[in-house]
Amino acid sequence: MSDLPALVVAAPIVGSIAVLLAGVLRARTGWPLAVVAALVQVGGAVTLASRAFGEEPVRYVVGGFRAPFGIELVVDGLSATMVVLVAVVALGVLGYARVAGPRSNSFYAVYLLLVAGLTGMSVTGDVFNMYVFLEITGLAAYALVASGEGGRSALAALKYLIVGTVGASLFLLGIGYAYVATGTLNMADLSTQLAAVGYNSPLVQAAFGLLVAGLFVKVAVFPVHTWQPAAYAGAPDSVSALISALVSTVAAYALIRIVFTVFTVEFLLATPFARTVLVAGAVVSIVVGSALAVTQTEIKRMLAYSSVSQFGLVVGAIAVANGTALTGAAIHLVGHAVMKGGLFLTSGLVANATGVRTIDGYEGLAERLPVGAGAFSVLALGMVGVPPAVGFVGKWYIALGAVEAETWPLAVVILLSTLLTLAYFVRILERMYFREPAEASAAVETTEQRAAAGLVTDGTGTDAGLGPVSMGMRATVLVAAVLAVALGLAVFEYGALLQPTIERLLA
Amino acid sequence: MIEALADRVYYLAVFLLLGVGTYMLIGNANLVKKVIGMNIFQTGIFLFFITAAYIDGASPPLLSAPGPYVSPLPHVLILTAIVVGVSLTAVALGLIVRIYSEYGTLDEDAIAKVIADE
Amino acid sequence: MTEIASIRPVAAVLVSAVAIVPILASRGRPTLREGWTVLAAVTKLGIVASMVPGVLAGDVYVTDFGAFVPGIRFALRADPLGILFGLLASLLWLVTSFYSIGYMRGLNEHAQTRYFAAFAGSLAAAVGVAFASNLVVLFVFYELLTVATYPLVAHDETDEARAAGRKYLTYTFGGGVAALAGSVLVFWLTGTTAFTPGGIADLATADPLFARATFALLITGFGVKAALMPVHSWLPDAMVAPTPVSGLLHAVAVVKSGVFGIARVVLDVFGPGLVGDLGMGAVLGALAALTLTVASVIALRQDNLKRRLAYSTVSQLSYIVLGLAVLNPMSLAGGLLHIPAHAFMKLTLFFCAGAVHVETHTDDISNMAGIGDRMPLTMGAFGVAALGMAGIPLVAGFVSKYYLLVGTVTAGDLAFTGALLLSGILNIAYFWPVVYTAFFETPDESDPKPVVENVLGGRFGDPEAATDGGHDPDEGHDSDHGETDDHGFAPDHEGQGVQDEREASEHIDPEHGPDERAEWEHRAPNGDESTWFMLGPILFAAAGSVVLGVVPDTAVFLRVVRLIVAGVTGVSV
Repeated sequence: MSDLPALVVAAPIVGSIAVLLAGVLRARTGWPLAVVAALVQVGGAVTLASRAFGEEPVRYVVGGFRAPFGIELVVDGLSATMVVLVAVVALGVLGYARVAGPRSNSFYAVYLLLVAGLTGMSVTGDVFNMYVFLEITGLAAYALVASGEGGRSALAALKYLIVGTVGASLFLLGIGYAYVATGTLNMADLSTQLAAVGYNSPLVQAAFGLLVAGLFVKVAVFPVHTWQPAAYAGAPDSVSALISALVSTVAAYALIRIVFTVFTVEFLLATPFARTVLVAGAVVSIVVGSALAVTQTEIKRMLAYSSVSQFGLVVGAIAVANGTALTGAAIHLVGHAVMKGGLFLTSGLVANATGVRTIDGYEGLAERLPVGAGAFSVLALGMVGVPPAVGFVGKWYIALGAVEAETWPLAVVILLSTLLTLAYFVRILERMYFREPAEASAAVETTEQRAAAGLVTDGTGTDAGLGPVSMGMRATVLVAAVLAVALGLAVFEYGALLQPTIERLLA
Repeated sequence: MIEALADRVYYLAVFLLLGVGTYMLIGNANLVKKVIGMNIFQTGIFLFFITAAYIDGASPPLLSAPGPYVSPLPHVLILTAIVVGVSLTAVALGLIVRIYSEYGTLDEDAIAKVIADE
Repeated sequence: MTEIASIRPVAAVLVSAVAIVPILASRGRPTLREGWTVLAAVTKLGIVASMVPGVLAGDVYVTDFGAFVPGIRFALRADPLGILFGLLASLLWLVTSFYSIGYMRGLNEHAQTRYFAAFAGSLAAAVGVAFASNLVVLFVFYELLTVATYPLVAHDETDEARAAGRKYLTYTFGGGVAALAGSVLVFWLTGTTAFTPGGIADLATADPLFARATFALLITGFGVKAALMPVHSWLPDAMVAPTPVSGLLHAVAVVKSGVFGIARVVLDVFGPGLVGDLGMGAVLGALAALTLTVASVIALRQDNLKRRLAYSTVSQLSYIVLGLAVLNPMSLAGGLLHIPAHAFMKLTLFFCAGAVHVETHTDDISNMAGIGDRMPLTMGAFGVAALGMAGIPLVAGFVSKYYLLVGTVTAGDLAFTGALLLSGILNIAYFWPVVYTAFFETPDESDPKPVVENVLGGRFGDPEAATDGGHDPDEGHDSDHGETDDHGFAPDHEGQGVQDEREASEHIDPEHGPDERAEWEHRAPNGDESTWFMLGPILFAAAGSVVLGVVPDTAVFLRVVRLIVAGVTGVSV
């Protein structure tokens, strides 16, 4: 028994406070301190993960009150995956943010708070504790989105806040129903108590409905995705990368936890309607998310809608509810985080280097910024599911799971999602490589481009879209592209490691 | 029927609050009123927990009082939730201040117009 | 059969993938860059060829990287079928590399570095397709091939090229989805996707409905690249790519990867026996027969030489598919042998079309009257390959078509025999006019071409009559601006051949027009007509077609084909 599960939550909070205090003494001390905290976090997360992938999860009882009365932290393979993912992505984005991102100490304090919230959501074994961490994550995310300049980011953050709070409130209401039905909040205890109450009880079913609805908002499943495009587009680039890579991902993890650890597969089998809701959410998200992505003109909004579509795949895997699909869900969560985070960082790199934020502005990018165009292409193709990138492997598992479960409509949509994803990425690939740069062609496009750049930076001048481009930024983007491919090759071992965890989830 | 409702009058109040809150969130164009609606919505949920903890004729969970006690756990939870709610409101109001200084209005539609004109 | 663990299969795949790096790095120095390409091509051919004797002796070379996803290993196996395709692709890549140098420099094309890099990537993926040990690995390389060839299709960066690129991606990724779905189903039904000569045993006991669905999905998936109708239309559009691409990729590597996929599905996933039992052979055969006849008819009406060749490719690919679908050992041999036979002949034809384009900027057959004077060797090679296509003895096409005909007759599918014969006649009908116009006509004196020039089905009434008070029917063409680029397929684009040039010079700019003489310049058949970078490959490919036709047993391909057929059916042909 070790204190590691508690430490990985506490360390970023300590780091956050340290950053805040250091800021009082001296400005611009945030970044180095945050890096130290993130490095510690990565170390802790990896150590924790090395223990968690066993037959038994790592358990930690907070404050000496044993479960089910006290709060318990439970780290199994899936939680450990999330903890490592959060730590690594946070460190990677820091590498990018040194030159690019907001530089104030308060920014880095909130940044670390977000890491703490996400880690907390991943390791907790108590539903109310999960709510608290969900809200901490939310608060930090709202503040980070608002850290961009101008009114647009504030407006996006407020929208995000209102919708997100409603989601979290529904989640809380769901907890209330579950608590009324069973009198417990510990996840493991809940699963046995809920079974004792009976899956036909309206209280239990209402609790499921509310918890899932709340998490749907956080995952950004269509039609409750509305906060996402505005938030991603309004936030500074490093923030959109961090949030897109982690927040919805951990919310999807929470959905897996709630559905499988709390309500269990038997509940899904006993309540066909619950499954139908999940399938419907998945299918609609995949199709409509892609369709909306095709219609976007701004690159970050397009990427946001792409997330809606990709998380449809994960929700689909949850609906399928067998081992193969869940392994696929875990792989796709990790893969999507790396690829989507990388895409947002690349779009930020492009915006800093050339001032371009619209899809039309990407014309001829390959000549102006070969590194950016190359990384974007690799990540986009990985997202489409071109093998051997990680996007393909996740899709393979999920599709195979859907076929094994013989949920044909879902299987068809999952396979077709390749084409839907292609539909919005091919526009960009084509513009980057097979069109002349916009400056050379027409003056109209150039002014459009400047207007777009000006919109983001709130009209402070035509060159304001241009920003610094550091080695760290390029390196982060390239690492993301390489990871997207390399993870695809290493995924088998990961799937094997995850096997005991998945079996426990489905037991 | 009436009795059944009378027994659950607290729950009725809870859902009334939830309804009012939701309506304000969706129906109001004024950002501050949206935040107020959000608060009402949350308050409904808090009351739901408190109501659920109540047992007819029971006393507060104090060692000095005679049993049976009402369940103490929801109170503790809601205390936490209230803190979260207050921080959310603070952040929301902070954002609204920034939005107001940027656009000079709190009306959602008017802001959309300003953005469109930019 | 012994399995030999070896890194040679993966080395054959990787050598051209690795070559991309130095090719990109030496972007400023064309000679060095092309040097890398040729070096990679030679190495690749050497590695593949080094495995041929072993494979002929019954060995299989395997590189195994361990499990990719549960139940599926990421392994490359050089078995006879794989060697057939791998050897063909790597041999012809070497030839095409030289040709590319002549072609790209002759036209002074842009983005040559991207071109050579993408070409190397395509070949890596194609050889990966050849050596894939199971459906999933095959799918991996099949998708990578799509990605790697996309830059080549869209190379021109014109609207037309971009549209063709989009269409290409949509069609092939759509096919990829079907192939993936089929692979998933195979894995679900049997727990494996590994290729087994004669078929995966568990499929025979699976639910026939699912088995049929799986077969249909896989054939649809691979049929897209094999240009089976009705999913063929990306291929003629993709002719907008530079000619070496059309030649190697859209007549050999890419389209054959589709055909190869179908061959794998028929021979090594389902097995001929099961395909017959499921009744899918007849369906596939009918589809192929329809495609090869209809495509031949369409080819008759194409005036653009490359488009005519493209429809010819659509038609010839279906010969192979038909051979596979008839399921008779003889027809299987014929179909498989047609893979290299068609490759050599069609490559010759495309190389000739490209050489004509580089030297004279002529793309349309109607402008080629008398061009045999200008390019005797090129058009001579064209004639030889065209004869082979039609199945005239002593050229490669005869041998494979002979096997195909015997196979269909033996199997009793006389309808297919009829389709093959009919298409053979149509082959002559659409190739002979090219040869005829090149050698026996002059720009001043050429026969009318009613099939090409007139409206399909003939005209009804007088085309000149204008009931609305009349404006010239030629005026209504202002919508086609932007289609008149050099590679364009617009029927009325300018600057082609002596006829167009003379017409243009009369009313555009007399000073820059050619001399009044409507004659092709005469060049002796001694290599004066073009550069040897292009003539060498043309003559090599043409000679290859003849060698395959005259001494098929000495050429290695027939021996490999016999080995494959014996391995699958147990019958030696």
